[in-house]
Amino acid sequence: MRTFLTFVAAAGGALLLQTTVWHWLPLGGAIPDLLLVLCVYLGLHQHSVGGALGAFFLGYAQDSFSGGALGLNAFALSLIFMVVYLTSRRLWVDNAISKVVLVFLAVLIKTAAIIILLSIFLSTDGLWSTVVRHLPVEAAVAAVLSPAIFSLLAYGRQTSPAEDET
Amino acid sequence: MLEFVRRNRIIVTSGLLLLLSLLLVSSSARSRRRGDPLAAVLLEAMHPLQVAASDIAAAGAAVWRRYADLVGVRAENESLRRRLQQLEEQSGRLAELAETNQRLNELLGFRSILEGQTHAAQVSGRNPGTLFQSLTIDKGEHDGIRKGFAVLSPQGAIGQVIATSPHSARVLLLTDHNSGVDAVVQRSRARGIVAGALADGCVMKYVERGEDVEVGDRVTTSGLDGIFPKGILIGEITKVSRNHRGLLQVAEIRPSAPLDRLEEVLVVEPGARLPEPSADGP
Repeated sequence: MRTFLTFVAAAGGALLLQTTVWHWLPLGGAIPDLLLVLCVYLGLHQHSVGGALGAFFLGYAQDSFSGGALGLNAFALSLIFMVVYLTSRRLWVDNAISKVVLVFLAVLIKTAAIIILLSIFLSTDGLWSTVVRHLPVEAAVAAVLSPAIFSLLAYGRQTSPAEDET
Repeated sequence: MLEFVRRNRIIVTSGLLLLLSLLLVSSSARSRRRGDPLAAVLLEAMHPLQVAASDIAAAGAAVWRRYADLVGVRAENESLRRRLQQLEEQSGRLAELAETNQRLNELLGFRSILEGQTHAAQVSGRNPGTLFQSLTIDKGEHDGIRKGFAVLSPQGAIGQVIATSPHSARVLLLTDHNSGVDAVVQRSRARGIVAGALADGCVMKYVERGEDVEVGDRVTTSGLDGIFPKGILIGEITKVSRNHRGLLQVAEIRPSAPLDRLEEVLVVEPGARLPEPSADGP
């Protein structure tokens, strides 16, 4: 329960940062995706139905605030969770560098997934310039921040009983 | 089947969630009216936090901006100081050029008035002591300058060339005590010799006691000494002294040319003169 609450607090904090503080930082309009970092963490360390649901709700929460079509981020983060989950079961991704790389790739995958969905269901007009301009910064910053976020979440897990369902 | 689902429940759950997401996207894409109660709850729950976070972030950003501005202002201030210094130097140079231009124009104008051979020259040096009043110009024998040539400025007579070298010449100023110029009072035509009195300017000597000489009278060259053209202004009488017993009177003269601030001069060859009928000097 404490893990759950810790994670909810982290998700709330990440959402808060993404909707407020990040916009004030001199990142050229880029908004580093902390919710995606949390989703990667779930894929790495929360091998359970709860982890999958958590990833979905992270995306859903992001959709609620993004103003886009509902389900876009939910789909993308669910996909990320599944990819990371499957990767972590087959590859050893337990060191900091591999996690950073994983987060960086996850940003690219998420963006690709959303663009594909948009091209199928809506439109991608005017999207490419934004993607090209912001994606490298967003991916880099999210990747750089991920070790610290993972450490915080791991600390939260250590203070509560293990709930993994591997 | 159930066993497969149980063993792969995470994958299955993820798959179902992906499917649900696609359905959400599809329905949302068809109808953009967002009747999502969960989103409304999330938005409402996050609202006060967002307001607080936004305020804090805005305040932080403002502080940072002010700090950055301050740093920027300091750098800009330094840069502007340098720029100001450059512009002041440039302005000084331009003012100097304007002054020089004006002086040269005056010299050119004066030169065009004179009939005869003239040479423009720049002052390159001054007397090394206080007992003599002379200056050095940057033109010499190679430029046609000879000893005995008169030296003038648009404001009036300056002196005469007393020594030459190939590329420079020394000019004895009117104020030097060795200088002597045949002169005439412009108003009364009273004659005399203008000699130097060093710091006191010049004096007009050998003026007969009966001659009409007054303070304020202008004194010009007479042209009789064969050096200075006739009618060149020497200066203005500031004082007249008459000895009780002497036959002569002495007039103190303030030179019209700024002898201590000369930069360009006109060297005039013998035979040069001001055009007739004017005899009032430049």
